[in-house]
Amino acid sequence: MPANTPLKAKPGRAFLALAGLVVIAAIAFLTLNVQREIRQLGSAQSDNVQWSLAQAEVEYLEYTRQLEIAPTNLVTLRRRFDVFYSRVNTLTTASVFAGLRADPEAQDKLEQISGFLDQTVPVIDANDDVVLARLDDLRAMAAEIRPTVRLLAKSGLDVFARAADQQRALVARTMTQLAFALACLIGALFLGVMYLNRLNAQVAGRERAQSQIATRMNTVISTSLDAMIVSDAEGRIIEFNPAAEAIFGHHAEDVRGKDIAKIIVPDHLRDAHYAGMERMRRSGERRVVGKGRVQLEGKRANGDTFPVELALQSAKTDDGEIFIAYLRDISKRVANEHALVEARDKALAGEKLKTDFLATMSHEIRTPLNGLLGNMNLLRDTRLSKEQDRYLGYMESSGRLLMSHISDVLDITRYDAGKLDTRREAVNISALLEDIVDNQSATAADNETSLEWGWDGPPMHWIVSDHDRLQHVMMNLIGNAVKFTRRGKVSITASVHTEPDQSLLTLQIADTGEGIEDKLVGQIFDDFLIGNTKRNREVGGTGLGLGIAKRFVQALGGKIEVESALNEGSTFTVKLPVTAAEPPAEDTTPPALLQATRTMRVLIVEDNEVNRVVARTMLEADGHIVLEAHDGREGADLAAVEAFDLIFMDINMPVMDGRTAARHIRSAGGVSANVPIIALTANAMASEQADLLQDGMNDVLTKPLSRDALRQVLADYQSAQPTNIWPVVDADHTAETRLALGEVAFAKLTSQFSHEVEDLLQWLGSDDAHDYLDVASRSHKVAGSAAVFGATALREALKVIETAAKTGDHATLRREINTLAPIWSATKHDLL
Amino acid sequence: MITRFRATILGLMLAFGIAIPAGASDIAVPSGTPILTISGDIEKTNVGDTLVFDADTLAALGSVEIETSTIWTDGVDTFQGIPLKTLVDLVGADGGTLLASAINDYTVEVPVSDAVENGPILAYLLNGAPMSVRDKGPLWIIYPYDQNADYRSEVTYSRSIWQLDRIEVVR
Repeated sequence: MPANTPLKAKPGRAFLALAGLVVIAAIAFLTLNVQREIRQLGSAQSDNVQWSLAQAEVEYLEYTRQLEIAPTNLVTLRRRFDVFYSRVNTLTTASVFAGLRADPEAQDKLEQISGFLDQTVPVIDANDDVVLARLDDLRAMAAEIRPTVRLLAKSGLDVFARAADQQRALVARTMTQLAFALACLIGALFLGVMYLNRLNAQVAGRERAQSQIATRMNTVISTSLDAMIVSDAEGRIIEFNPAAEAIFGHHAEDVRGKDIAKIIVPDHLRDAHYAGMERMRRSGERRVVGKGRVQLEGKRANGDTFPVELALQSAKTDDGEIFIAYLRDISKRVANEHALVEARDKALAGEKLKTDFLATMSHEIRTPLNGLLGNMNLLRDTRLSKEQDRYLGYMESSGRLLMSHISDVLDITRYDAGKLDTRREAVNISALLEDIVDNQSATAADNETSLEWGWDGPPMHWIVSDHDRLQHVMMNLIGNAVKFTRRGKVSITASVHTEPDQSLLTLQIADTGEGIEDKLVGQIFDDFLIGNTKRNREVGGTGLGLGIAKRFVQALGGKIEVESALNEGSTFTVKLPVTAAEPPAEDTTPPALLQATRTMRVLIVEDNEVNRVVARTMLEADGHIVLEAHDGREGADLAAVEAFDLIFMDINMPVMDGRTAARHIRSAGGVSANVPIIALTANAMASEQADLLQDGMNDVLTKPLSRDALRQVLADYQSAQPTNIWPVVDADHTAETRLALGEVAFAKLTSQFSHEVEDLLQWLGSDDAHDYLDVASRSHKVAGSAAVFGATALREALKVIETAAKTGDHATLRREINTLAPIWSATKHDLL
Repeated sequence: MITRFRATILGLMLAFGIAIPAGASDIAVPSGTPILTISGDIEKTNVGDTLVFDADTLAALGSVEIETSTIWTDGVDTFQGIPLKTLVDLVGADGGTLLASAINDYTVEVPVSDAVENGPILAYLLNGAPMSVRDKGPLWIIYPYDQNADYRSEVTYSRSIWQLDRIEVVR
């Protein structure tokens, strides 16, 4: 049934109602009219008029007859005259004869008759003798008026006949109008009947449709797999479908009319349910109704609670608002979800454990390996027989191979843990390729393979990329190509596709080697994949090379692909998004001396004894003086009192780590506060190196330490006077403040500042629990004062504390608070 | 005015149930000119079989006033006279018809049931003055036409006989 039918019907209904009212009003009006006309006919102001006129003539005749009778009876004569007089008087004055008098002819007659009466009255009212004497006069006057009386009666008849005609016409017209109005009413009634008929048909149709819908709805509800529960606004159950019976274990007839909260809401949620209902009744605020699916708990007849998914809707009915709840038992789903989450967590934990294990093991293996390689390095400086020298060479190459495998594994674990950073630096891709080709040319020559590289199209020598990662990838790919190609050709092609803001560098390494089996092509970049051919076994390897290459390329934002045909060769393609880089300014300084020319005092801060001994031995072999510290605290203490030319600082150490120690040394204002500090680390990640430099380190040396690297560093820093000024106080600023304040005020304020800082130090150093917000606000305040006096180092340290306190970075906070005391003592020294 | 005043006093006396010697017992034989003769089936008589009134004895029955227009006069007039009911009660007529006749022997039938409270009167004063024969006197049956629409009908108009001088009560 179209929904707009009632709308369409409205104007029609209104029109009919209006028409009906108009017709009824017309009929009422006409009926009143007719009634009035009829009453006028009935109340007949005219009927006895004709009689009166006739009677007037009769009475006139009675009077004249009495005049003729002899002997004359005067009493009777006078009475006859009076009666006639009275009649005429009535005709001339009565309202009922107004119509008659309106007729000029009748009026004329009446006046003549009145004249006759006026003439007669003096005669007839005179005494009897006079009347008797003038009887003849009376007779003559009466005879004279006779025709007039006669004509009056006749003219009256005419007048009243006309009036009657008019009245009849009026009545007839009103009756006609009434008939017309009746016809209209009947027509309107007919239309009304037709309309009602139609409405009736519509209603019947609608009822039919509604009953069909109801049947359909009942079927839907009863066959629904979801529980459907309908309640009234008070929460009393109205409907409880079979699915609800099955899920909740209640019979519909048992629960109908009962409080839904007591039937299906678990005991611990009931108060919340009532509160929700109450809130909705009070404020109309709805948190669940009409808000889609909500996950809640339900209660079965046996008291078990189970998870349900609930969708609640409300509808307005004649009996008030009702709520329709669709509930689905999701115990199974929830159980499955839990199981899945658990399985995933387990898998993730396992994976994490594996990665952690790999990372830890690699690290732990590397430390003694560094010791081995360092000692081999030292062994070389001793007198060796030829055989010993050869064996040492084998040991060294084995050690280096082992180191590279460990680095590979570490790279993989780092990448997979999302910790693999890349640098952004200017890289000369042409030089990089040239170096590798040079490096591999001997191997290629051994395999009787030609090796060449070149640009296809315009070259882009300098790009922004990570040199080491890129070198690793190209080394791996080119190395593989050379290894697996005999009596063939390996060609490397670089090309660049330039776009306005981003260029795409394509590096293609094509060989004519043995190729890759089809079924292995798809897995070639997987970890630990090693081909099954004789050649594979010949060249060996961990099977990690391409996996790492792929990770590095991805870390650089690029893609790596391979095409290969067995026995025909393979082509590896690396595509990298790059931007052109400005070539760095030519380094015009002469190459640094490889060896320091003077004896230097060196402090080695390192917890690992082997590493310490290796470094010490190497340095002492070159004639330098070496002091050792076993942890950061020891190192910092030593630097405070001893003058050094250079400090080597390990990063991960017990008691105090290298970064904290470096900050201590820089800020404590000790004897070696401004000595170059070189960080020693095995984790040469770009981001970490930047952090180290920020902590006051001058350079980073990657473990394992090699003699060459050590010599280079010493050469670099031998001439360096204590250049790395770590200004505790900005002297210019302090001077300005002093000048501005005047000596007295300055002294007063610095003393106040001094108390302020010492209070803070005491507070921070106490074992009381500190509110981080207090820490932040107090640090901020003192940092402001420090800025005024140009106490730069103190201000910076306080700012770091403030930020760490705000972000809740506990480790940084702890570390920075430890550095405050030495910074303050240095500041106090300079400022006061 | 005196007549009217007297009539009012009488009306008041009647209304308060004060005994009027003449009305309470017998009607005296008229000493003046008779103006109304009641005959027929009546319980009270004073002259032979008839009950005869002159102006005074009639007025002594207690008069009332009606202010009304009529179709035979112009404007509203004040009529004073004896309620027909008083007369009917006096002669003990409790049903039947009154044959009212005028001096010209014109007769109409008035049902006794017409004699009701606030009904017709036998008017003998028009605007305080006695009515001559020329003014439809001496007696005129006047219904309160203005007060009751039912009286504005042809039948009532025909019963409003003037120049009345006798009534015969017929059972």
